Amino acid sequence: MRYLPSSPLEDRALLDTIGVPNAEALLAGIPEPLRLKRELDLPTQGSEQEVAWQMMDLANKNTRFCAQFLGAGAYDHFVPSAIDAMISRQEWFTAYTPYQPEISQGTLQHIFEYQTLICDLTGLEVTNASLYDGGTACVEAALMAVRVAKKRNTVLVSRGLHPMYRDVLRTNFAPHDDLKLVEVDLKDGVTDLADLQAKLNSDVAAVMVGYPNFLGAVEDLTALAGPVHAVGALLVSVTQEAFAFGWFEAPGKAGADMACGEAMSLGNKPNYGGPFLGFLAVKDAHKREIPGRVVGQTKDLNGETGYVLTLTAREQHIRRDKATSNICSNQGLVALRANIFMQLAGPEGLRGLAEQNAAKAQYLRQRLLELPDMEPVLDQPFFNEFVLRYRGDYAALQEACLKESLLPGLDLGRFYPEYAGCILWCATELHTRQMIESLVEILARVPAAV
Amino acid sequence: MFLRQREPLIFDRSVPGKRGMDLPKLDVPAAKDTRPAHLRRSGFDAMPELSEVEIIRHFTRLSKWNYGVDDGMYPLGSCTMKHNPRLNEKVAGMPGFTDSHPMAPDALVQGNLEMLYTLQEWLKEITGLPGVTLQPSAGAAGELTGVMLIRAYHLSKGAKRRVILIPDSGHGTNPATAAMAGYEVVELPSLPDGTIAFDDVTDPVNGKVRKGLRTLVSELGSEIAGAMITNPNTVGVFEYRFKEISDLLHSVDALVYMDGANMNALVGVARPGDFGVDVMHLNLHKTMSTPHGGGGPGAGPVCCGANLMPFLPVPVVVRDTVKVGEGEVPRHSYRMDWDRPQSIGKVHTFYGNFGILVRALTYCLSHGSDGLKEATLRAIVNANYIRTRLKGAYALHIDSPSLHEVVFSDTNQAKHDVHTLDIAKRLIDYGYHPPTIYFPLIVPGALMIEPTESEGKDELDAFCDTMLQIAKEAEENPDVLHQAPTLAPLRRMDETTAARKPVLRWTRA
Repeated sequence: MRYLPSSPLEDRALLDTIGVPNAEALLAGIPEPLRLKRELDLPTQGSEQEVAWQMMDLANKNTRFCAQFLGAGAYDHFVPSAIDAMISRQEWFTAYTPYQPEISQGTLQHIFEYQTLICDLTGLEVTNASLYDGGTACVEAALMAVRVAKKRNTVLVSRGLHPMYRDVLRTNFAPHDDLKLVEVDLKDGVTDLADLQAKLNSDVAAVMVGYPNFLGAVEDLTALAGPVHAVGALLVSVTQEAFAFGWFEAPGKAGADMACGEAMSLGNKPNYGGPFLGFLAVKDAHKREIPGRVVGQTKDLNGETGYVLTLTAREQHIRRDKATSNICSNQGLVALRANIFMQLAGPEGLRGLAEQNAAKAQYLRQRLLELPDMEPVLDQPFFNEFVLRYRGDYAALQEACLKESLLPGLDLGRFYPEYAGCILWCATELHTRQMIESLVEILARVPAAV
Repeated sequence: MFLRQREPLIFDRSVPGKRGMDLPKLDVPAAKDTRPAHLRRSGFDAMPELSEVEIIRHFTRLSKWNYGVDDGMYPLGSCTMKHNPRLNEKVAGMPGFTDSHPMAPDALVQGNLEMLYTLQEWLKEITGLPGVTLQPSAGAAGELTGVMLIRAYHLSKGAKRRVILIPDSGHGTNPATAAMAGYEVVELPSLPDGTIAFDDVTDPVNGKVRKGLRTLVSELGSEIAGAMITNPNTVGVFEYRFKEISDLLHSVDALVYMDGANMNALVGVARPGDFGVDVMHLNLHKTMSTPHGGGGPGAGPVCCGANLMPFLPVPVVVRDTVKVGEGEVPRHSYRMDWDRPQSIGKVHTFYGNFGILVRALTYCLSHGSDGLKEATLRAIVNANYIRTRLKGAYALHIDSPSLHEVVFSDTNQAKHDVHTLDIAKRLIDYGYHPPTIYFPLIVPGALMIEPTESEGKDELDAFCDTMLQIAKEAEENPDVLHQAPTLAPLRRMDETTAARKPVLRWTRA
């Protein structure tokens, strides 16, 4: 086995020192009846060449596309070459969680910079080293809001939140008989203010809305903050497309008390949904309730500036069942990708990329609307995703697109019965005008619905 | 190894007007601004402005202040820092995988689905458990999923149970998880060898009696939803009465959760499904060598028995056999099964840390059944070699046969006012990453050493020689240890001030 540095002679020397005849003798602590009496019924070892081919064969069984007009929580953006080059350094990708600060300053300083940039993106004051993904970030945000807003047991969730984030929220709230998760209806593609008002009361700890939401529409955080704060609840913005932070105001500056969501867009490919990058940013006053790893600045014995994991009194290894969360491993290396991405982009890059995304999506929408079978549905400001009603047959449209190696937008009816027959489209900086024209051309040829 | 050059925060190097990214020319009309004025992005306060070369140098220099697995032995007990094969990285970067969209129809991602299905099959055979979900992103997420399965099981029988039993030697994530799943934690005392106490234990110091497993089961009975047990436990000892423990718990229909953090000691040697485990998680970033990435991403698949399969998170990857003519080789197609009415629901937005799962399957295929077992045995031999060579100089608090890791105590050194932290920091001066320290809590001044199978005799000897040298220094020149590290980029850090007056981000002066 090429990964094992053993030779028969050395093995003998090790066993002789220990004083056992063979390695199996060291299994004495496992009662005989509990041991496996046979070999595992699995293929035997493979050479690097064989395994590489086998895995490539699997990768090649996936259909490849010239362009994907599908977002819905996983966005295809350009990834600068510097990112893969940097994270392939062993010092970054093989290191453990930075428990020993004297020899982990690289990771610790990176996390401190990453925390700074996530706070900058969201307009809030404190964040952590990352969470798993958008869905679990919503769970951590909701549970944290309940801890912060003491003696309140209800979390209101806009139906505009990504349906899978809502699924994950439901799963995690189910065990808590004392907590309530209540959905708020949509009106014209955004949170229905009347329904929200009707459900707001002094039991509500937090209200979670999409920014922009799953339908691509932006929620007016400033308008929502009024009624939410009036009952003493926290407004939580949930962002599934981090590029939108270059277009819309930082949620912390627009009225949100907490911002969470998914930041995979910053330097990652869609990767079949993971590893992604959950984030949660909060106000300074709430920092001791935040879940997960947090890095802080300090000095060493010689007075040199350095970084350490801090506020650990919140965490599972100290507080056990009283911890703010059970999370320990997070998405470290994905956070590093995001940090490098944001540093490369800088303020101009983030703004410029956002403008390009908005421009491409607007152009795609305009061109699609020139087709006789497409019609507008929502009249809300959007970023790089939008909904159109399609009078034709989605299956026929999909088939026509796939034939030309294009992946069309999402059939919304699967998640929102009221939007059956509607398609959620997405365009990013990766979509050239040529790709958009090809799509429109293909769609123009789809036979009309019977 | 470490570059003795200070790298400032990137913010201190930012100069307006520099850029590290050029955008493509916009080939469509510029965006119309439809945003309400108060929702227009107002600006950034911290985003730095630098060129690509400066940013690459920044991250390269910072990287040289890190210690990685390729730098040398990284004997963090319980963390399993083994070699990270480069093939795994290459495969995970194949565009067929990385470009695939999680909302794409199943027919377009047959390769992904086959990959997930195949990994599930490997994990089933390795654990002896028939149900698998690959969704949880890390060990703690796997624990939470597993405990939610236990909850769903009891609810399906109309029972709402309130207690989870957890040994005092368990990882902190266990009680934190049980609390997140809405359970009350009752602590199980452990015996001096770290295994679970069946009978009541009297604390030698304060004379307090702590109830053992037998008492707790008879008193709490049907209040117990289950127990979370790490096996081998956190001192590297196989819970030799595991079958009796699981039988006792099953007698009141309480389920057995096995924390699989130490599963790398059992792969190919013993299967949890064969000794009474109902549900467990695996840490693929430990057992299957996927890289730790400075804190993640990991993957924490959950394997379970048939009794818990109906409750697995949706979707579940399934294989259908495509009908073929007589004499033809059967073909398969794969799909996500969402129609599972008893499922606990989703635990990840999509299907888990897919890229990590790709690496884990690559590891499995490379090792094969024979290589997996060889790796297990080699890891056990290595840990026992260290145990044998160091047990004179360092106190072995627990004398039971240990498997893949060995836990020493600092009691010999404490006589010279040298403690575990000093020993750990001194190791840094000698070019090693320290072992896990002060865990498990049941061993005073614990030094938990796990060499993994990735070390050869030379490396093991060099590490043992260093540990013996440090033991000698502790007797002859303890101050050297109190001062350590002196050869790392920084000296010991003031963690108290960091927590009291937290500075958690850079702000413009």
